[in-house]
Amino acid sequence: MSAGAPDARDAPATSGRRHERAALAAGIATSLLGAAGVALGVVAVASGVGPVRVGGALPLAGVTLAAGATGGLFLLLTGAVAVAVGAYSAGYERHGSTGPAQLAAVPFFVAAMLLVPLAGSATTFLAAWELMALASLVAILADHARAAVRDAARWYAVMTHLGFVAILLAFVVLGAAGHADALAVLERRAGSLSSSSRDVVFLLSFLGFGAKAGLVPLHVWLPRAHPEAPSPVSALMSAAMVATGVYGIVRIDVEVLGGGPRWWALVVVLAGATSALFGVIQASVSTDLKRLLAYSTTENMGLVTLALGSSMLLADYGERSLATVALVAALVHVVAHAAFKSLAFLGAGAVLFATGLRDLDLLGGLATRMPATTGLFFVAALGASGLPLGAGFVGEWLLVQSLIHSRPGTGTLLALVMPVAVGVVALTTGLGVAAMVKASGIAFLARPRSAEAARAHEVPAAMVAPMATLAAASAVLAVAPSALAPALGRLARELPGHPGSFPQLGLLLRLPGVAGSVSPGLLAVGVVAASGGVVALRALVGRSRRPRGTRAPLWSGGAGALTERMQYTATSFAEPLQRVFDDVLRPDVDVEVGHVEESRYLVERVRYRSRIGDVVEERVFSRVLDGVHAWASLVRRVHNGSVHRYLAIGALALVAAVAVAR
Amino acid sequence: MSAGTYASLVDLAAGLLLLSAVLVVWRRDLRAATRLLAVQGAALGAIPVLAGIRARDAHLLVVGAAVIALRAVVFPRLVAARLRGAPSHDREGAPVVNTATSLLVTALLVTAAYALGGSLVHAGPSSSARAAPVGFALVLVGVFLLATRRHALSQVVALLLLDNGIDAVAFLASHGVPPVVELGASLDVLLAIVILGVLAGRMHEKFGGTDLDDLRELHE
Repeated sequence: MSAGAPDARDAPATSGRRHERAALAAGIATSLLGAAGVALGVVAVASGVGPVRVGGALPLAGVTLAAGATGGLFLLLTGAVAVAVGAYSAGYERHGSTGPAQLAAVPFFVAAMLLVPLAGSATTFLAAWELMALASLVAILADHARAAVRDAARWYAVMTHLGFVAILLAFVVLGAAGHADALAVLERRAGSLSSSSRDVVFLLSFLGFGAKAGLVPLHVWLPRAHPEAPSPVSALMSAAMVATGVYGIVRIDVEVLGGGPRWWALVVVLAGATSALFGVIQASVSTDLKRLLAYSTTENMGLVTLALGSSMLLADYGERSLATVALVAALVHVVAHAAFKSLAFLGAGAVLFATGLRDLDLLGGLATRMPATTGLFFVAALGASGLPLGAGFVGEWLLVQSLIHSRPGTGTLLALVMPVAVGVVALTTGLGVAAMVKASGIAFLARPRSAEAARAHEVPAAMVAPMATLAAASAVLAVAPSALAPALGRLARELPGHPGSFPQLGLLLRLPGVAGSVSPGLLAVGVVAASGGVVALRALVGRSRRPRGTRAPLWSGGAGALTERMQYTATSFAEPLQRVFDDVLRPDVDVEVGHVEESRYLVERVRYRSRIGDVVEERVFSRVLDGVHAWASLVRRVHNGSVHRYLAIGALALVAAVAVAR
Repeated sequence: MSAGTYASLVDLAAGLLLLSAVLVVWRRDLRAATRLLAVQGAALGAIPVLAGIRARDAHLLVVGAAVIALRAVVFPRLVAARLRGAPSHDREGAPVVNTATSLLVTALLVTAAYALGGSLVHAGPSSSARAAPVGFALVLVGVFLLATRRHALSQVVALLLLDNGIDAVAFLASHGVPPVVELGASLDVLLAIVILGVLAGRMHEKFGGTDLDDLRELHE
């Protein structure tokens, strides 16, 4: 804060201690709120919470709290992330420059996020939703002296409030048609709504929740806000807040509205598939570590939405048990994403803490300097790449199973959509692996590419411990997803159209009515045994055969010693992908060749610059902004600064309004 | 109180409201305008007092007393206190259009108020609602004054006139407003006067006058 700046100059010791205390208090408050969220979530999943009505908390409507298994799962998720992030941020913010207002905003943000799944009425939901948006906006503005942060906050504020307007209108239509405020009552009456008002509610709410979940084309705030926010806030936003968008879709569009015509499902599938592909392509070419993770969030939320849409479509075609599998896939993936993505953002925060860098092209060599962070980030990257032993694997496997097992001859549309969706998931996973290999390989392995990276030290244990907890959670989700089975079972029974047969998530993942099964636990044991075996074998056999070591100059083809400039950079690693997806990415590449003065045939140096913006932002939103500007400059002509003119316009408007109202 | 006496007393109060408004438009001197505002506030407060006596309703009496205290005493005094410190050229209303035109426009606005506010006549109790367009005329005249007066303090006077008009409509067209609502509305106006007063003082410090046209320089 600007008010704190002179203090810091005059008495650095006192204000430093005060700042440390404030950071510690904010961290503890965040963790305690998270723990409360976990406890409430357990209760909500086991037996449901409420409805509890607190009359005086909000004027006119009051606050109604109620949560079933759906809300419970998201309470658990948000609470667990908040516990880890709170502990981490107490260490992370200790030496930071985040002001007291921004520190205080984080617990409020967590409280609002917990209130969203707890909301039992439309007004409570909207109030919590808006509180969440405002608190997160303040939390993003930690480093508000930088223009990039203010720019990101502006984009975020506009997008999130446009989304809020859409959700507000959806609730207005829903409430007016159902004559109620409580969500439970609306759920009972939603069936008798006219189909046109149901369509309006669906479209508006999906738009609003999609904006929060970072779905294309409303994702533009995400790659700006996530990198610029302090890393604990990025972790909260990317892991928990984005999930509230999914919660909204499940709670309002699936549960309250109870499904709808076939085109609803198609809209959801299409939005999910586009987001997954666009997100992963952008992630695979990003060179900013946190921007890469932000695009990966869009990708994962796209997969979740694709699974939700497939579930709706399958249910519409009467494939009840497969619909349940797709639904479970979506929810498992949301939870897994929360675990690995919060871990990844905290890892990126640790890198930022140690080096002050986010640019992958300047990082490298951190594996020897920050071994704990490296190992934990690798766990997160494995989870994000959707490979076996990673947290993201279970959800993606379930999704693919639900997509490929629909019976032939059920419907033309289904036969058309499902293979395309499988292709989307496959391409997304493949590119996701590339993106994550780049993120972890370029940032942590090989030699440091800058002096800052070379000077890096491991972060304090207070920051490593929360990350280790999240890594353990990711590992549990990856190996034994049955931990989620009770919650998901209750949730599926709560949602309309999902029968009792439920995929078993035990040692073997068994699906109802489908031949496929897989055991992530046994897979893990197998991989560990195999790699252990290889190591043991090598130790046994290799000892006798290992040649005697000799010390000699490194062979380098006459080019001299190897330097860090000979390594792959993030840009060069992604260059082939950038070429392949040229049409989608529209990169701005500039190659500048400098010649030696004496001869045009000798090249002195080659400068390669490439900048990849967001094509949606540059092509779509820039036009929208131009339109707004044109309209504003038209209006500005009337504004010549004369108070009398403004008052006269007001007077005329008043008379006109009265004349019309008469 | 008989129905006839009540009706003629309410009409008298409404007539006073309108007359004082026209006089505010006519007089350029702001000190005279504050005295006229005091008369207008008293006339406005008389309406709920009369209704309270007739209906034997203590609430309305409380509202009436509050209105008289605030609008006949406190608000005009606040404006007058501001005026006392101001130099003479700031004590004039300094209209953008001349007095004769202003009076003509006022006449037009009052006619328009009766033409447009016709539906208000049928809204409330017959004896007082007949006079409701007077309140509406006050609102229009207030907005007109806001748009045509140059100095910040004359804007305050115009704002008070406008708010008196709103209150008059509320009192005449309905059976009176609850004390809480009246209190809320009046406190809003009090706040606006204090802020505008401070603003006028600041403007005077910065520009040596409170001519709103000087503010045009601040545009962009």
